[in-house]
Amino acid sequence: MKLLKPTWVNHNGKPIFSVDIHPDGTKFATGGQGQDSGKVVIWNMSPVLQEDDEKDENVPKMLCQMDNHLACVNCVRWSNSGMYLASGGDDKLIMVWKRATYIGPSTVFGSSGKLANVEQWRCVSILRSHSGDVMDVAWSPHDAWLASCSVDNTVVIWNAVKFPEILATLRGHSGLVKGLTWDPVGKYIASQADDRSLKVWRTLDWQLETSITKPFDECGGTTHVLRLSWSPDGHYLVSAHAMNNSGPTAQIIEREGWKTNMDFVGHRKAVTVVKFNPKIFKKKQKNGSSAKPSCPYCCCAVGSKDRSLSVWLTCLKRPLVVIHELFDKSIMDISWTLNGLGILVCSMDGSVAFLDFSQDELGDPLSEEEKSRIHQSTYGKSLAIMTETQLSTAVIENPEMLKYQRRQQQQQLDQKGSAARETGSATSVAGVVNGESLEDIRKNLLKKQVETRTADGRRRITPLCIAQLDTGDFSTAFFNSIPLSGSLAGTMLTSHSSPQLLPLDSSTPVPFGTSKPSTEPVAATGTRPAGDSVSKDSVNAASAPAAPSPSILTTPSKIEPMKAFDSRFTERSKATPGAPALAGLTPTAMESHGCLCLCRLKEQSLVKELRPRDVLESSSDSDEKVPVAKPSSLSKRKLELEVETVEKKKKGRPRKDSRLMPMSLSVQSPAALTAEKDAVCLSVPAAALKLPMPGPQRAFTLQVSSDPSMYIEVENEVTAVGGLKLSRLKCSREGKEWETVLTSRILTAAGSCDVVCVACEKRMLSVFSTCGRRLLPPILLPSPISTLHCTGSYVMALTATATLSVWDVHRQIVVVKEESLHSILAGSDMTVSQILLTQHGIPVMNLSDGKAYCFNPSLSAWNLVSDKQDSLAQCADFRSSLPPQDAMLCSGPLAIVQGRASTSGRQAARLFSVPHMVQQETTLAYLESQVAAALTLRSSHEYRHWLLLYVRYLVNEGFEYRLREICKDLLGPVHSSTGSQWESTVVGLRKRDLLKELLPVIGQNLRFQRLFTECQEQLDILRDK
Amino acid sequence: MAKVSVLNVAVLENPCPFHSPFRFEISFECNEALADDLEWKIIYVGSAESEEFDQILDSVLVGPVPAGRHMFVFQADAPNPSLIPETDAVGVTVVLITCTYHGQEFIRVGYYVNNEYPNPELRENPPQKPDFSQLQRNILTSNPRVTRFHINWDNNTDRLEAIENHDPALGCGFPLSCTPIKGLGLPGCIPGLLPENSMDCI
Repeated sequence: MKLLKPTWVNHNGKPIFSVDIHPDGTKFATGGQGQDSGKVVIWNMSPVLQEDDEKDENVPKMLCQMDNHLACVNCVRWSNSGMYLASGGDDKLIMVWKRATYIGPSTVFGSSGKLANVEQWRCVSILRSHSGDVMDVAWSPHDAWLASCSVDNTVVIWNAVKFPEILATLRGHSGLVKGLTWDPVGKYIASQADDRSLKVWRTLDWQLETSITKPFDECGGTTHVLRLSWSPDGHYLVSAHAMNNSGPTAQIIEREGWKTNMDFVGHRKAVTVVKFNPKIFKKKQKNGSSAKPSCPYCCCAVGSKDRSLSVWLTCLKRPLVVIHELFDKSIMDISWTLNGLGILVCSMDGSVAFLDFSQDELGDPLSEEEKSRIHQSTYGKSLAIMTETQLSTAVIENPEMLKYQRRQQQQQLDQKGSAARETGSATSVAGVVNGESLEDIRKNLLKKQVETRTADGRRRITPLCIAQLDTGDFSTAFFNSIPLSGSLAGTMLTSHSSPQLLPLDSSTPVPFGTSKPSTEPVAATGTRPAGDSVSKDSVNAASAPAAPSPSILTTPSKIEPMKAFDSRFTERSKATPGAPALAGLTPTAMESHGCLCLCRLKEQSLVKELRPRDVLESSSDSDEKVPVAKPSSLSKRKLELEVETVEKKKKGRPRKDSRLMPMSLSVQSPAALTAEKDAVCLSVPAAALKLPMPGPQRAFTLQVSSDPSMYIEVENEVTAVGGLKLSRLKCSREGKEWETVLTSRILTAAGSCDVVCVACEKRMLSVFSTCGRRLLPPILLPSPISTLHCTGSYVMALTATATLSVWDVHRQIVVVKEESLHSILAGSDMTVSQILLTQHGIPVMNLSDGKAYCFNPSLSAWNLVSDKQDSLAQCADFRSSLPPQDAMLCSGPLAIVQGRASTSGRQAARLFSVPHMVQQETTLAYLESQVAAALTLRSSHEYRHWLLLYVRYLVNEGFEYRLREICKDLLGPVHSSTGSQWESTVVGLRKRDLLKELLPVIGQNLRFQRLFTECQEQLDILRDK
Repeated sequence: MAKVSVLNVAVLENPCPFHSPFRFEISFECNEALADDLEWKIIYVGSAESEEFDQILDSVLVGPVPAGRHMFVFQADAPNPSLIPETDAVGVTVVLITCTYHGQEFIRVGYYVNNEYPNPELRENPPQKPDFSQLQRNILTSNPRVTRFHINWDNNTDRLEAIENHDPALGCGFPLSCTPIKGLGLPGCIPGLLPENSMDCI
């Protein structure tokens, strides 16, 4: 046996309460007291194991330290997989840590040394439930559960698959619970408490199996921890502090009948920790001796308050080794290496010791198979715990299913390969956000950061998000933060979306083309886009790591005052807590507040004057003596505000999109028609909806499509035949031209690949074929035309009185008959920002408030198909259901209408920690509305896309009823009956083909194998028919 | 635990003339979306002798703060020379950056600041009345002093009260029984913080 005390493993002299070796043996964690918080440190194991590594400067010793716990950390435990680390502390919290891969090394800011964190461990879950210090945590075998115990007398079982779900709270102890251990076969969990009892709980129903008190009757509650342990073969449970004849012992409790006949005796003070070696051993076969089968045995280490450590083998009557005076204070925790030959011990004195045994000393460890054979022979199937995640053992009932499962596994392997390849590149882009390197961002941060003013005149900066907290994959930061509840900051958020978007992303779309003058003034008053408050533009914001002046710390006279400053660094100043000492600012704040009101008034009347600024200046003059007032920047800000508003208008230029007709149809009362173009009368009487009309022009040209290239030329009043003035319509398509004449002036024209239509004065609408043949006698519109639109053989006319008609000129039927926009435009100052006519003749109106409606001819009603403010879209997270290859590359009317909103929402969801249930519900609701919208728009491609996504989500999350309903509808009646209402197609797709496509998706979850088989069989029957 | 931890503070444009604004680029990490804004302050310590001469250069709200890593630049005007005692104008002083949430300060970053005349002549024979236009400010960036305070991050004052009003008999006084043991663990703790820790125990 070798003994080593690596002095470099320390918490700067502070006590170390817990130590745990990572299952792969490459690192270990310590937990304890930090400077003024709890501290968890992850250390490299190799410098402990090898002297060469310890001396090598290039081998890091400390890998990561986390001081996130507010108070002393009592326990650190790795999950069996090694993926997670759980820590529990006096701050009543359990934190679960996971290694983050995408962030490079970092330091704990302000920590004296320049110790870089080599590995990044990030807190992925904070578990709150205990009302007192958390004393011990333990992962169940298979990592399905995490147990924690606390001085609040309870043990909490957490669902480790779905943190922070609590599966059970075990109540029964009447004293501080100070230790936990799981039965290695997962049937029990045992806890030991200061109430002089050790309790064993069943994992089946989380009820008490037994409470053992006798060996603890004489115990006084004086140990900090009571870490008990279960032997790896499951036969014995060994307690911490017990008493036998007024001597401290570690009580051995047999699994059979919970008998307490044996104990480990010898320690002079209370036993604080017992830890079984994870291996089961058998006698080392010595050459020459007969190979007689010996009974396997276990090995156990016992630590005590008497500062000594003993190691026992269950086959020996006396301890294998006892080490006295190993530490200056009580032993707090013990951890074995997974190979069972090494042991780390930590102490309250802040040091750690490592013991290295040889196989000669302990024996031959059994292999994992031998170990599980022992489990099986003793307990039958050792998998007492079977969780939902372990469906792999479920019986596959159908060979088809098996095929799918195999294919699936193969695919996953392939994906893993490619994923591994990708991670290499992912790390290299870690410093890049939306195409801009972090350096670029930093250079311009001051200029670009969004600064606003609150209602009381205070500066408010929107911080730039440079990384999300996600230990998984690297994803680009999402710059806009959309609040879940609108009440986050009151008035600040009135026009949240546009000004808060940092202009980092140059491709940020201007929402649907046109500027929205109706919201602009509100935006300006609501958030004060103050821009940067740089007083001198010439200043370069780049960080300049300046060389420290050499004289700064040398002059002796300067040392005295520095001592005097010491308290200033550490003590909260009297001036700062609570309402800040902004008393000096108040007059200014008041003034600017008053000024804000004034601005608001001014802006309402849309008259921009410089008067508010004058007021500001005069007020600032009087404030010059106030030290913190900033007159110059205040007035400057006002100026900038004005510039900003102007700029915004410029930005709002319509985007060119051949498929869409970007236009701004303001709803104007007749009186307001003559007013400024941008102005919108806020109080339009609902009855007087009136859309702008195109005035007669001398001539105009219109490009209908670029491929094939097609132009329409209109010349009004060209030829006069006997006093009659005629208008000429000319159309050229791929070089071929045709011409025709009309008797009245042409106001507007539109065309598609199938038809060309023109609207003339006297409310006439004429339609021509692609060769110039008149298809219909002129249609008389109910009122003058406002907008004309063609897609395929559909012609849509929107009149000035806001009625909408759509005809199918080939079939010569009406699709939408003089439908009023009244219902969607009513009541407010909304405008139609965009019109779209789908290939199926469905008109879609995008309104300035971000909503989009389509007219459903079969229901004869307007359907809401998109809403920019839809909070569902922002909360929905179905990334896991997205097929890997098509990253939302689904185009169609729905995508056009919704723009990028859907993608951004998906990312936004990741910024908020929404409870899983809520997330599930919102995601379902969102996906369902998408499927329904695609269906209403009769966009088969998008319908298929969203249906697949929806089904995939249902499958992943295990929603059986909805899934079944979908399958039933797609399958239809297998035996046709005359009374059936079932349609075999949906938006031009064959339902049963869709179902065939869905089946492999359903097959991914074994839970739905019945459904899978049912559908499969019925489809087979149908095919055979 | 602290929901917000400061990752780095970069001092921009240093050293610089005395009248130049202070500019700090602050990166911080938030592990849970905050309901309210953070409030940051820059405090210039005018004299080591007394807090009387402290100047709050500026205070700014930062928000909304979703979970994640964030950064911003905090700029504040130079201190008002007329409020600095003449004897303290030249030499070492301190600038503090503090952050509060719900009015509770949870982090304080302090830097030593050296104000001196770059001109050797002036340095040898400093004028009777300090000439601030000639002074150069140098922040000792390499040695920030960071102090963290424990605060109540959750806005549930009602819950705190509920626990305070809780029947002591039922509570078994558990935090107290463990305090003496923990007391061993806190010898190096700053005395000013102890009440904070006990606050957390409530």
